[in-house]
Amino acid sequence: MAGFRLIDVAKPFLPLLPEVELPFETLPFDEKIVYTIFAGIIYLFAEFPLVGVSKDIQSFPINDPIYFLRGVFAATPRTLLEFGLFPIISSGLILQLLAGLKYIKVNFKIQQDRELFQTLTKLFALFQYFVLANIFIFSGYYGNNLTIVQILVLNAQLIGSGLCTIILSEVIDKGYGFISGAMIINTIVISTNFVADTIGITQIKIDDADNTEAQGALINLIQGFRSKNKTIVGGIISAFNRDYLPNLTTTFIVIIIAAIICYLQSCRVELAIRSTRARGMNNVYPIRLLSIGCLGLLFSYVNLFYIHIAAFILIQLVANNDPSSIICKILGHYENVNNILAVPTFPLSLLTPPRSLIGGLFSQPLTFIVFTLFIVSTSVWFAKKWQAISGSSARDVAVEFKDQGITLSGRREQNISKELDKVIPVASSTGAAILAVLAACGELLGLKGKAAGIIVGVAGGFSLLELITLDYQQTGGNSNLRAVLGTPSTSATQF
Amino acid sequence: MANEKSDNQIEKLMDAPLEFVKDGNQFLNKCKKPDLKEYTRIVRAVGIGFVAVGIIGYAIKLIHIPIRYVIV
Amino acid sequence: MSTATPPGGQRTLQKRRQAQSAKDRQAKQTPTSTRSAGFGGSSSSILKICTDEANGIRFDPLIAMFLTFGFITCIMAIHFMNKVTGATF
Repeated sequence: MAGFRLIDVAKPFLPLLPEVELPFETLPFDEKIVYTIFAGIIYLFAEFPLVGVSKDIQSFPINDPIYFLRGVFAATPRTLLEFGLFPIISSGLILQLLAGLKYIKVNFKIQQDRELFQTLTKLFALFQYFVLANIFIFSGYYGNNLTIVQILVLNAQLIGSGLCTIILSEVIDKGYGFISGAMIINTIVISTNFVADTIGITQIKIDDADNTEAQGALINLIQGFRSKNKTIVGGIISAFNRDYLPNLTTTFIVIIIAAIICYLQSCRVELAIRSTRARGMNNVYPIRLLSIGCLGLLFSYVNLFYIHIAAFILIQLVANNDPSSIICKILGHYENVNNILAVPTFPLSLLTPPRSLIGGLFSQPLTFIVFTLFIVSTSVWFAKKWQAISGSSARDVAVEFKDQGITLSGRREQNISKELDKVIPVASSTGAAILAVLAACGELLGLKGKAAGIIVGVAGGFSLLELITLDYQQTGGNSNLRAVLGTPSTSATQF
Repeated sequence: MANEKSDNQIEKLMDAPLEFVKDGNQFLNKCKKPDLKEYTRIVRAVGIGFVAVGIIGYAIKLIHIPIRYVIV
Repeated sequence: MSTATPPGGQRTLQKRRQAQSAKDRQAKQTPTSTRSAGFGGSSSSILKICTDEANGIRFDPLIAMFLTFGFITCIMAIHFMNKVTGATF
């Protein structure tokens, strides 16, 4: 098969896939905000129950096997956003990684290759929506004995909403919104979930006696003071440790993690630089600790997702979750908890964060080591590869320096690349490792995906905010959002 | 001979994380950390932004609830 | 050995060969991402998928957003019909 390239697979589909037109000129800042917010709103609006499944939650025979991964990919169970942004993020990350490592032959200098590659990414995302939808349908997740019509309708909904998500993120990607669709939608959803978990006033039925509690932890605490079915002390204690809905303890941990990321984000090594053209122009070039942002952690979670989906196929589809079958003996099986979650047992539980710290310490102590090691090692591996291929490696920065007439103070111009090579890879892999450890710590405290979610949200938000403020300085002359965006954080844009 | 080689490889494998931790530590020591003023500024900017976006999003979700009641 | 040293070039043959091969390597190297080719795309901390306009079914962004919104309204309509007629499918 000489000359076969994976991107040629996308060729026959090229005329079939929807494609958003590029804007004729860069849009004004305010218009971009409108597009971005509307894309986010439409995405949030899609969080709508699926047609064709029973509405009674108790009647589902199969529970959610990936509950602890949903927070990272803006997914909500049993809605149109069953898989959220996962297919888009994973196909983008993995295909770009493979192309960068030259496993997929793409010449990014040729326009046609870039178009094909982009189409391939979208196609792969769509394909994943299709595969995941059918795995969930045939596992009985939406109920046993579905009719053919039901199966078709569910497929249409899940793939259709996948296509919609792809289009929405494409609208933003193409320059109508800010920077990157998948990341900005993810950030919007994560912040929404955070607000909903803290001050959400939605009343949710918690038992058969029609008692309701607020979704938001803070609101629940306030309601606890005047609740009829609980004492005040009981209400306060339950506000801190209820496990069926968000509680104040998790909210505090999430806020602490967010604060730590804010601190890490402004850690940087500053290299002294000077201009080669003008004398006496001294400045610093910051190399940030979190230079690859949240992508390392996202990659770890993409891997976790694949592993858990593969296990779900084997255990649920092949072995039918029967503890006596040989597959379940090797991989473990699912146990139902709270009638919502499917919690895997031993081998597979090694890669599943526990639902609470104390329970986890007793029932699955090995998880603490294996889970952390897995996340850290995949993150670091990814960080090392990604910084080299993504166009911000030491060599690329050195070329950029040369173009702008900058050099490191006290170094020969030829050695810039080597000097930077001593700093940049270390920075990105250290940053990725720290974020991974932070995520693992949070997850092991029993946050069920919220820790990783807030890290992806805040660290991703930082990366976006930086570029948005840059955009703002360049084009947003008379925009009235100055107060919201705040002052620009330090960035490499000082010159 | 072969034994010695595999020993070396194991040693290398053990060395890699140690090296990584050492490099990382060195980098962290060189890092310029934010001072309190800068830090509070960042936290405030991020906090306001994050919560503002979240509240807009949650407003949408609130609109959602009555629609769900009517339709589903 | 027979070639004369080019002006400004490296003196010894070995060094010249090294310089040449380094140049070759650089020329052969294709960029590893859309950004390093100079067309935007993912940077070190941003994942960006769409950078070019492929020859698909082209939409205006507004129409695209209306279509996605329409899709969700369709689902709502089916829900509503289900509720009114009482049929479950």
